[in-house]
Amino acid sequence: MRLAKSVKFREEKFGGVLFETRSEKVFTLNPTAAAVVREIQAGRPEHEIASALNGRFDAGDGVIEKEVEAFIAALRQRGLMDE
Amino acid sequence: MNDRSAGTAKPQADSAPAASSDDLAAPLYVAWQITNECNLACLHCIEESGPGKAFPDELGEAEVFRVLDQLVEQDVPYVSFSGGEPMVHPQFFAMVERACANGRQLKIETNGHYLDAKTCERLRALGVKAVQVSLDGASRNTFNRMRVLGEFNTAVDGTKNLRAAGVPIEINFSPTRFNIREIGAAVDLAYELGAYSFYTGRTMYTGNAVKTWRIVAPSEEEYAEFFDVLRAKADEYRGRMRVHFHEMGLLEELRYRLQHPAALLIVLPNGLVKLINALPFVCGDLRTQSLAEIWSNFRNAWHDPRVARFIDDLAVDPRGTSALHKWVYV
Repeated sequence: MRLAKSVKFREEKFGGVLFETRSEKVFTLNPTAAAVVREIQAGRPEHEIASALNGRFDAGDGVIEKEVEAFIAALRQRGLMDE
Repeated sequence: MNDRSAGTAKPQADSAPAASSDDLAAPLYVAWQITNECNLACLHCIEESGPGKAFPDELGEAEVFRVLDQLVEQDVPYVSFSGGEPMVHPQFFAMVERACANGRQLKIETNGHYLDAKTCERLRALGVKAVQVSLDGASRNTFNRMRVLGEFNTAVDGTKNLRAAGVPIEINFSPTRFNIREIGAAVDLAYELGAYSFYTGRTMYTGNAVKTWRIVAPSEEEYAEFFDVLRAKADEYRGRMRVHFHEMGLLEELRYRLQHPAALLIVLPNGLVKLINALPFVCGDLRTQSLAEIWSNFRNAWHDPRVARFIDDLAVDPRGTSALHKWVYV
């Protein structure tokens, strides 16, 4: 799992941006989303991302897992990921 | 989900509106007109390019690579090379190599006359993100009339060479009175040639078009029919090729940009940096200023009252765009 070839990520003070250069669309990321994208870029498998972020977030049991899963699904749905 | 350090909520990616350029550390896109020299002398060329039309003060070799290094340092993700005709620039391939080697996504905007098989293979090997070819017509007759000194078959063959080499293709189409009715066929041709995107919009009253407006400018009725065809073609090719068109007039576009400046710098062949192509305002000079300094000035420059006044004046007299090459420093 990785970002699509046409997608570039850049960190920003507010989190980050994903720039999909085929459609020239820009997606702004909040700090949490940027943290997920950093993990994707680092090559971490999808099922390990939530646990990698666990120590950095306050959330109830299973919340992080669900939200990371939903976020990655949204990236896929927007064509921002390659498998 | 709460991020302890930043106090924010669950991971979110929003596409609209994008982060304001005020919030970004650097531009997201640099559109660089690397030379004003061109092998063609098109009737509608907004840059007034042509043979012998290179600026006398275009950036030299060392300056060009200093700019490229700054694009890398500032982590600008997306860069385009245009002109004039960018492929006649003496450092063209070295510049492509430097840009691509450092992870930029590079698009080349060309008239398609230098795309032999070997060149296309080289562009693919260097990792160019896309090549945009200007195909203003679906027939030799209209294309050659508009693209003075140009040859339709050469541009089409060049595009086929891109496809054979596996280089992603975009097609750009500028409408004029004598090619506007070919729009449907031009979209079909773009798809047959393997394009993934097709771009068009209204032809602007500037550059060479100021002199040729009487013979090139489509009527509003022709534009209405043109955009009807484009809407139908966008539906027809949905999921196979993106048909992208700017129906908005220039004035509406500029008013929108005044409120929402794109994170885009336009770099001229001599290193001057414009706010946006359709305005005469220059917000920096890469010969004497760093990209970071210019980016900071860019964000302030959009708030200069002269910019809003220029746009307001266009509402009264749209011919104000004829003066885009008389640069105003802000």
